[in-house]
Amino acid sequence: MPLISVTTRSGDTHELNAEPGLSIMEVIRDAGFDELLALCGGCCSCATCHVKVDPAFADALPTMSQDEDDLLDSSSHRDSSSRLSCQLIVTEALAGLHVTIAAED
Amino acid sequence: MTMVAIRDFDDATYDPFASDEINFGDIRDPYPLIAEWRAAAPVLEGDYRPKMGLVSASYPDRKMFTVVGTAEILKALTDTEHFSNAGYKFNLGATFGDGSISTMDNPEHGRWRRIFQKIFLPQYVKTWGETIVDPVVRQLMDRFLDRGTADLVEEFTLLYPFEVIYRQLALPASDVKTFQRLAIGQTDYMHWDKATEAGHKLGEYFVALIEDRRRNPGDDLVSLLANTEVEGEYLPELVLVSFLRQLMNAAGDTTYRGTSVLLTALLENPDQFDAIRRDRGLIPQAIEEALRWDGPVAVQLRMAATDVELGGVPIPAGSLLDVVAGAANRDPQVFADPDKFDIFRERRPHFSFSRGPHICVGQHLARVEMTRALHAVLDHLPNLRFDPDKPRPEIRGSMMRVPKHLHVRFDR
Repeated sequence: MPLISVTTRSGDTHELNAEPGLSIMEVIRDAGFDELLALCGGCCSCATCHVKVDPAFADALPTMSQDEDDLLDSSSHRDSSSRLSCQLIVTEALAGLHVTIAAED
Repeated sequence: MTMVAIRDFDDATYDPFASDEINFGDIRDPYPLIAEWRAAAPVLEGDYRPKMGLVSASYPDRKMFTVVGTAEILKALTDTEHFSNAGYKFNLGATFGDGSISTMDNPEHGRWRRIFQKIFLPQYVKTWGETIVDPVVRQLMDRFLDRGTADLVEEFTLLYPFEVIYRQLALPASDVKTFQRLAIGQTDYMHWDKATEAGHKLGEYFVALIEDRRRNPGDDLVSLLANTEVEGEYLPELVLVSFLRQLMNAAGDTTYRGTSVLLTALLENPDQFDAIRRDRGLIPQAIEEALRWDGPVAVQLRMAATDVELGGVPIPAGSLLDVVAGAANRDPQVFADPDKFDIFRERRPHFSFSRGPHICVGQHLARVEMTRALHAVLDHLPNLRFDPDKPRPEIRGSMMRVPKHLHVRFDR
């Protein structure tokens, strides 16, 4: 199972086992990090699972949809590494991925 | 501009505003009762309405349950494999129309929701704050500023969200009175003939309005939606008309209730109100706390899509579940001292815009409206306080919560 690392808002970094097929949002939430709110439950209908992704993995990530792009535009903390973690499905290619939970809007 | 006819109820003496208590209850404080249920079990047999002393919304062929445990509430709202929104087809669907996305499940729901969702994203609705909300609020307040007294519900919160919608839709002023009667009548479920008559008449009005705005588009929401195309086709008329029918209830009624509760809570807690007067940066957390403490919509409906177990209780497929958001919002395991209104409490997400794929599509507009309303109160009503000569406000209701009056005084 791929390992990913997650940096929380307090700056602590944790390694998590990420089950292929789950979303990064589900991996983080299921590990008990409730600061990632994911209020819509993972169907790209809010922007409360916003993370910053290590640019080295940009090519391994699924392409961003227009809906995700629009939702990310609603965050004042968006930058070029921003993604909604509910849209990032774990694959073996994401082993070693590092994400940082974005500041709350 | 438009030459579209709007028809009132056949019975002109019918008053759609008189049925609020029998539809939505008038209980002063439902939370002690909800706390008793939660202490007994997370999921109870039977529906919510009779437990609160209301007439049951009676579906005799189905079992009904009331969900009050936070984990079970979250599961019912987010586990869409087992819990469907089809239960709303019996009530919302019958009046707003089966094109209401509240009655649908994904993927059909998501197909239409994404179009509405984009229109109501924060980056777009914030412009309405200046162009629509501020002028509406100012105009309403100007009517009572010289008086030094007001009923902030009757003269302000009950009016402004609806005025915002009329401007968003660019409704002709002459249609507004009838439009509001029909829109409120749609959810008079205890007078079913009136609810369906209202849905029918609003429907024919919107169909004509949509045709008119396709011929003569403006910069209003009807024109925008009427001319939106998906894969080269207009949105289906049923989806469009259902959405427009639902707007008054979803965007008007809820915001009126939420703002009324916010102002009542702040006046009841003058130290917190003073803190906001000194630092308006506290406004967002005050709004979230008011929504948590006494959210306008206490209950959401779901239907079991399969046989399923929830909170240890077996739920047969087809059962209806009253999911009590107000119970999660007052769960002492989640919110310490949950009955206390405290804008400084540790921030945790509430359930008042629901959760899951149906999370309120208008939540960002609601926040803009409540923010603008509170700024206007702070700007124009100095030394705002309860009117000592009038009764204090009482937030009431078991399905939907609001104070009927909010009598205040302020310095002129």
